[in-house]
Amino acid sequence: MLNRFRSFPRLTLLSAVAALSLSGCEMLEFSPNDFRSPDDEKDLTAKNLERLRQQPLPAGDTLRFVFTGDSQRFYDEAKDLVASVNQQPGIQFLVVAGDISDFGMGREMRWVNEHLRKLKVPYVTVVGNHDSVGNGREAYQHIFGPLNYSFVYGDTKFIMVDTNGREANFDGSTPNMSWVRQQLSDLSGARRQIVISHVPPQDADFDPTLTDAYAGALRTTPKLVFEMNGHRHDFGVSQPFNDGVNYVNSYGFEKRAYVILTVWGDKQFRLKQVKF
Amino acid sequence: MQYRSFLGATAAVLLLAPSFSAHATSEPDAAPAPAQKRTAAIHPWYRPRHLMVQTGGGIGMVAAGAGYAFAKNKVETDILLGYVPKKYAGSTLSLASAKLLYSPFTVRLADQWQLKPLTVGVYFSYTHGTINDEERGQYTKDYYWFSTDTRYGPLAGSRLTFLRPGSTEAAPKAVSLYYELGTNDLYAVSYAQNRKGLSFGQILTLAIGVKADF
Repeated sequence: MLNRFRSFPRLTLLSAVAALSLSGCEMLEFSPNDFRSPDDEKDLTAKNLERLRQQPLPAGDTLRFVFTGDSQRFYDEAKDLVASVNQQPGIQFLVVAGDISDFGMGREMRWVNEHLRKLKVPYVTVVGNHDSVGNGREAYQHIFGPLNYSFVYGDTKFIMVDTNGREANFDGSTPNMSWVRQQLSDLSGARRQIVISHVPPQDADFDPTLTDAYAGALRTTPKLVFEMNGHRHDFGVSQPFNDGVNYVNSYGFEKRAYVILTVWGDKQFRLKQVKF
Repeated sequence: MQYRSFLGATAAVLLLAPSFSAHATSEPDAAPAPAQKRTAAIHPWYRPRHLMVQTGGGIGMVAAGAGYAFAKNKVETDILLGYVPKKYAGSTLSLASAKLLYSPFTVRLADQWQLKPLTVGVYFSYTHGTINDEERGQYTKDYYWFSTDTRYGPLAGSRLTFLRPGSTEAAPKAVSLYYELGTNDLYAVSYAQNRKGLSFGQILTLAIGVKADF
């Protein structure tokens, strides 16, 4: 009865050996929430900021970066986006405005990094609401880094804020307003500031008890160039609070387009849309 | 709390095992009878046919459980309780899983060694202990279309078995080493929609385990 199936052991053994040699230990996943990752796939924010430090922008030089968001499950698009961005001259880095993952799973964040690590320039991220599902915030912190952080590049201070209020049940904790105010009050040696978060303050997923405080803090920050968001998957520049503060929203990866921002002087900027 | 009771149940099953197997070992001395009937007589229907412990496969750093075999041991149903420590997932997770496995072929390699070259199956798991798992009222209906805690997916693997003395086809007494390659519903959906940007290998998970028929 068994002779017929003699070829099976060899086949399955072969495939088992192939699978094991691929990445045996990595494949031993304890749970989809398991965020263990190799050393070169964790603390990616710190690693990308270190790369930025190694390519300093002299004072007075024009800032130019790619702005995108919501990579989620758009891996085909991520691959094409990287090929397109790598053709752009004079780009200093790329920003993903949150929702790196769709289900808040570590493996998804690493799948996106698998593409974005092939960029010629460093990239930075801010945490999105989809990155906060399940144990996503823990995975994000392990693989990328802090939920709130800031850095100075050339003349610009970037303030990256967690604004995923719905994930905190609108409990008044997110965004962390005392941290935001403290960051806005300090230029850290830069001449201008840019704030980047995932959920825009005019959105239903932003903690309604903090909308006025957040928009008000930005309104009274004299050196703020603009606030940048993802979440809506579509590009737009608007002043939702009619207070002179510009809010720039990114394309989602699936829109097969991104924006190149050029910033100079005190608050001057130019936007260029690129399709890929 | 729930996790403690999971552990308790698992421990109880594991502790009961030796007495079951001692009973089974004494069986060959009993009066000869048709194998099938004899098994039925000494094994009440509710007695598990095997115990297993495994790592990986998305259902625990360690997952242990028990199961039943049907259709001449070609079909198995296994229930496992798994554990993932906080340092690997952000919170301590306990997972309750079920597997349905089908192993159509058995190859006898040597006197006491058998290979089941192919096992295919499906699994279902429920995770307890996730940090943000969609509280009532937190989101509008279908805000997130997927479940954070319920996963299911296909499996395929192989098994190498050592038959202990006194083992029969009807009442196997054996120790097996198995592996299973699998994926889950969400990884599979991601792969289906991204044939360029994701490779098949990236969505696979691996489980390695030991199964004891007694």
